[in-house]
Amino acid sequence: MNDSQPVAAAEVPSVVGRYRVIPLIREGAMSNEHSAVADASVQQQLKLPGTLVEDWHDRAIARLGELVASRRGLRVFLDTCTKCGACTDKCHYFLGTHDARNMPVARQDLLRSVYRRYFTFAGRFFPWLVGARKLDKALLQDWYNYFHQCSECRRCTVFCPKGIDTSEVTMAGREILASVGLGQQYSQEIITKVNSIGNNLGMKAPALAHVLESLEEDILEETGVPVRLPLDDPDADMLVVTPSADFFAEPHVDGLIGYAKVLHQSGIRWTFSSAASEAANFALFTGQHDHMRDIALRIRNAAVELNVSRLVIGECGHAWRVAYSFLDALVGPMNFLEAAHPRAQHICELTHELLESGVIRLDAERNRGKVVTYHDSCNVARGAGMGNIKGGQFTIPRELLVASVPQVIDMSRDTTHQRTFCCGGGGGLLTDDLMNVRIKGALPRAQALREVVTSHQVTHLVAICAICKTQLSAVLPHHDLANVQVTSLHQLVGDALLLDGNKANT
Amino acid sequence: MPDCPNPPVVSELLPGILFALVFYWALIATFYRAFIWKRTASPLPIPLTPAPQSRAGVVGRLLLELVLFRSLARASLITWVGSILFHYGLLWLLIMHLRLLFPQLPLALLPFIQFSGWALLAMMSGLLILLLRRCLVDRVRYISSPSDYLHLLLLMAIGITGALIKRHWPADLYSTGEFLRGALTAQWQSLPDSASLMVHLALVSVLMLIFPVSKLIHGIGIVFSPTWNQRER
Repeated sequence: MNDSQPVAAAEVPSVVGRYRVIPLIREGAMSNEHSAVADASVQQQLKLPGTLVEDWHDRAIARLGELVASRRGLRVFLDTCTKCGACTDKCHYFLGTHDARNMPVARQDLLRSVYRRYFTFAGRFFPWLVGARKLDKALLQDWYNYFHQCSECRRCTVFCPKGIDTSEVTMAGREILASVGLGQQYSQEIITKVNSIGNNLGMKAPALAHVLESLEEDILEETGVPVRLPLDDPDADMLVVTPSADFFAEPHVDGLIGYAKVLHQSGIRWTFSSAASEAANFALFTGQHDHMRDIALRIRNAAVELNVSRLVIGECGHAWRVAYSFLDALVGPMNFLEAAHPRAQHICELTHELLESGVIRLDAERNRGKVVTYHDSCNVARGAGMGNIKGGQFTIPRELLVASVPQVIDMSRDTTHQRTFCCGGGGGLLTDDLMNVRIKGALPRAQALREVVTSHQVTHLVAICAICKTQLSAVLPHHDLANVQVTSLHQLVGDALLLDGNKANT
Repeated sequence: MPDCPNPPVVSELLPGILFALVFYWALIATFYRAFIWKRTASPLPIPLTPAPQSRAGVVGRLLLELVLFRSLARASLITWVGSILFHYGLLWLLIMHLRLLFPQLPLALLPFIQFSGWALLAMMSGLLILLLRRCLVDRVRYISSPSDYLHLLLLMAIGITGALIKRHWPADLYSTGEFLRGALTAQWQSLPDSASLMVHLALVSVLMLIFPVSKLIHGIGIVFSPTWNQRER
């Protein structure tokens, strides 16, 4: 994961006013935004062609046919759109860039027009009537550009009267592109690293052990309590898998310290794994199901190897979607997990359980002076659940926040919960070469944040997703919100936690 | 050749035969497409969360979408109003048309006949709203193909010819019913002598012809949408 610094060169978008004001379309406004294409070596490591193949047209069409025949969602979504326009003003990239092809339906139509031309009666015989197109080089280029201006956040799905999920179309588009030699460097390289080394950063086991040790020292110094951050502990009952950004990036690492404090206080024997030191699964972004399975299998294997009976996922949005929604289908059944916790749990769910049962206690006064607001991450909000209660992904983190901080303010309701706006950096876009897209895509979130900063003097924006944290830290300064601190939820929980043996408690 | 039927008879029965062909094509092709959707594998569960945890909950969610167009109401109120007016106007009129299938009028259909003028008004206003939105809103215009406009115009033309039959150039109801019943049961009857009816039926036939191979089939697709029909475990 790139811990990107704000890029000075990126053009700062003009603020279009409130997100409720819908811009006029500008055709081709973002047609030159181009994420780097994967190197031949990266593609080949993933058993994909290194460069654009000679017969790209035929292979792309053939792959599209295979995908449509093997993914019901994709087929139904391509077939049932009525171009009603309900989604056209719902995408943060459209609201931020005004580019017509960043309207969800227009993005889908890049692929749908080709599907119609080659696979449907009307498109084959009356292409001009139904907007069907042959796949040519220019369209292939548009596929590449605009399928990498979608963060697969599914906000448009919430508003679609047919339930069409643009992310499935984007994933299919990227999958086809990679199969003809046009993978995206950022995501594909990360997949090679997680495959070969165990995490997205390419951080090897000794380096990881060193990081964890120095963090233990930091916590000891701060609290006087010997909180452990175990790695590959054979006696552990619980495996914690977290996005690797948690091990070093700011503000992620403070969240990691928060997990450690909570787990210490819980008395549970837990461990990280060096073989599965990464919760993220970028194959969700690239749409490659076989890679997604391989990456998920690594976690299952580590859990079996360490003989644990519980599996907990750290603060990461898409990793949680994969763990919550896909793990069984990809590498299940997870029959080694204990009956009381038969599936992967979110760290927030675990902390919430411990709080409810009185195992841990939180003192919100310790976070006095902070005014926090909560950013619902897209994959948690719309792609997963939490805690076996409907809507738990919204209530559990907020309840933890309320227990940890005296002042918690929600942003406008049409930008939170199921309707949350993406941070602008999800879905494989968290790369410097897309900084312009990222800054503009964060516009609706920044506008909603500005409202509560103005009305309630909000000081902290809390997230439970590594990508959200990195992205928002990087782009909020471009929206004149540098004073708002992006924070891990578990940092605030850890700060509010009453630790036994802590000097401060007595 | 004594077995050869008289040419005038064939031409008289031809409309009924064609209508039957188109009707059964629409029915069978629609089922076929639903079957294709059903047959296609669904490798990963992709419900839009929060999703219902029970089957009953899923049925409720689908009904909310199918009956109330809930997501559309969230998205765009004006499109929702247009859609509701059109779809329910059309449904009302379709139920009204059932009277043609019964030689003797079932009393239950009386209110549907009584208010059919209002239903037509609702349907036409809905279509007009949808057409205006498609023409006037730059975003919607950008995503529209010729077929998107033509679908609306076709439905409007069907409505207008229907109104003409009702108000100005009435067709004989009983013989229209006989024609329709005959067509659907392969006992062909000749078409009543009415130009407005002929145009009306021709347009309806075009609609039935394209229904299974166009976006008009979306209502059935909704049921197969994995974002809605899957449960959270």
